[in-house]
Amino acid sequence: MEESRRKFFKGIAVAAGTTALASTARVSAATKRPMGDASHRWGMVVDLRKCIGCQACTVACHMENDVPIGKFRTIVSNYEIKIGNKTRSVVLPRLCNHCEDPPCIPVCPVKATYQRDDGMVVVDNSRCVGCAYCVQACPYDARFINPETNTADKCTFCVHRVEAGLLPACVETCVGGARMFGDLKDPQSQVSKLIAKFPTEGLRPEMKTRPQVYYIGLDDRFNSKVEGTPSLWKREEALGEEVES
Amino acid sequence: MNTNIVDLISVTREVSWLSWGVQYFFLIGLSYGAFFMTLPAFVFGRKNMEKTGRLALLIAITCGIAAPVALVSDLHQPGRFYNFYLHFTPTSWMSWGSFFLPAYVVLLLIYAWLIYRPDLELQASNRSGMLARVSALLALGGSESPKAIKVLGYMTMFSAILVATYTGSEMAVVRARPLLNGPMMPLLYLLTGVCGAAGLGLLLNRIIADASESVSDNLNRVLVVFLGLTILTVLFWMLTGLASQSASGMVLMRLATEYNPFLFTLLWLALCTLLPFLLIINKQYKTWWLSGFLSVAGAWLFRWSMFIDGQRIPKTGAGFNDYSIPLGTEGLLGIAGTLGLWLLLVIMITSFIPWQGSKQDTSV
Repeated sequence: MEESRRKFFKGIAVAAGTTALASTARVSAATKRPMGDASHRWGMVVDLRKCIGCQACTVACHMENDVPIGKFRTIVSNYEIKIGNKTRSVVLPRLCNHCEDPPCIPVCPVKATYQRDDGMVVVDNSRCVGCAYCVQACPYDARFINPETNTADKCTFCVHRVEAGLLPACVETCVGGARMFGDLKDPQSQVSKLIAKFPTEGLRPEMKTRPQVYYIGLDDRFNSKVEGTPSLWKREEALGEEVES
Repeated sequence: MNTNIVDLISVTREVSWLSWGVQYFFLIGLSYGAFFMTLPAFVFGRKNMEKTGRLALLIAITCGIAAPVALVSDLHQPGRFYNFYLHFTPTSWMSWGSFFLPAYVVLLLIYAWLIYRPDLELQASNRSGMLARVSALLALGGSESPKAIKVLGYMTMFSAILVATYTGSEMAVVRARPLLNGPMMPLLYLLTGVCGAAGLGLLLNRIIADASESVSDNLNRVLVVFLGLTILTVLFWMLTGLASQSASGMVLMRLATEYNPFLFTLLWLALCTLLPFLLIINKQYKTWWLSGFLSVAGAWLFRWSMFIDGQRIPKTGAGFNDYSIPLGTEGLLGIAGTLGLWLLLVIMITSFIPWQGSKQDTSV
């Protein structure tokens, strides 16, 4: 009797343990993070000689990624500069640089932001606690707190499109063909060839983040913090009530 | 300002560390600052410091309980705080802080409980009704436990040092924000935290305690030393920054002279740091309310300046972003809410716990 009772409880314990392990395995399989293909290293080349500052990329990004109004995953900074008696316009598309040494990742206290094997820096917004530490740590002002999800948000290189074999929305829509996207590990890719052919620069080299967005024709005055006369209008004034609502 | 470059279109990011964060850094700074002032009486055996120690203990526990509430509220997803414990990240100071902070608060409460135990027992025997029963229950026999207090004091001291280190380092490692990025940040948080705690002590000594002259003297001594050290540290930061042209020192100079001289230089440095220092050093003790209030305000203003103004300095663009404090939970309500919580805790503890010791209870 004693023996059979012991066996009975033993059986229950084993069954419970097995079920728990199996369900844990199922959960971890279901929540396993997409890590991409390590045989690629995605990156972008922006040829500033071709950019006309039309903001088509900004709009395309908003449409593709449903970015809340007043927030930006990418934008084309626009400056007016004076050289002697002449003035000219300078444009500079900005986005997440998907750095090789991204300062946003080590500070994240819950490992919500991570780098995939293909180099893309992404945010698991089902884990993000919205502490905004990564927003502070990014030297490119590429991150923000999405007021709809209350989590950190940023450019993902349109990972969902890239995985489907498409180009990021900003690249697809670029009027002048200034934005080019591809595999930096492939020497035959358009981006690799451009980097081999032309001198390129990344933004904020003093931050030592090894950015993977390369600029052709970047003026030295614009590769770091731009010390000029601040914007002539305020964002809220420019966007009006839409931002407040 | 370079007028040869005009910024026409650029991204301006809003402040994402909110007023709750300022409140957290303020309250936790006051808490560990006050806790350090309890050590002479309860750990190092300086009996003449007991009154000061008890007042400081009240500040340490009330601020220490209110602070984590402010911290969790600063998260944009506060309901997910458990992720801190499911996904520990050793590379993140914030992740370490999620362990240091509860350890500090729990140890602090045990330390306070050990100190209050005999007084709770006395209260249980002197009073009747519910208060007596709860006091007896909390006292757990009410025996004096100086050795345990000492052990807990050292343990809490260790955890308080960890909290002070992590709160400062959390900001000091952010290279993208040159104002915060440097070794001065942890030191200044510690110094201003002690100043704020001593200032609050000066106020509470007159408002809710027996206006003891010896307590005032002790607090004034602490204040003069720590306000002096704060001034020296800031001057050192400015001068070495200028001499070495470091990013951190240069941006501090710009904050003090260009970005927000009214708040940083006039309000914080001159009015809330230099003035109380001069008042106390010139033995103007009758203006205790002014020195006390200004020192508390100084601890808060320093954090506001680093936190909010630090985020107003664009990382890529020019100028100094606009910011007006929102009236709702992302601004004023956060400040009022945490201060209200702190006040409630003070009222509760001073009403039900014999925090001033046995003398208080026998006098009732």
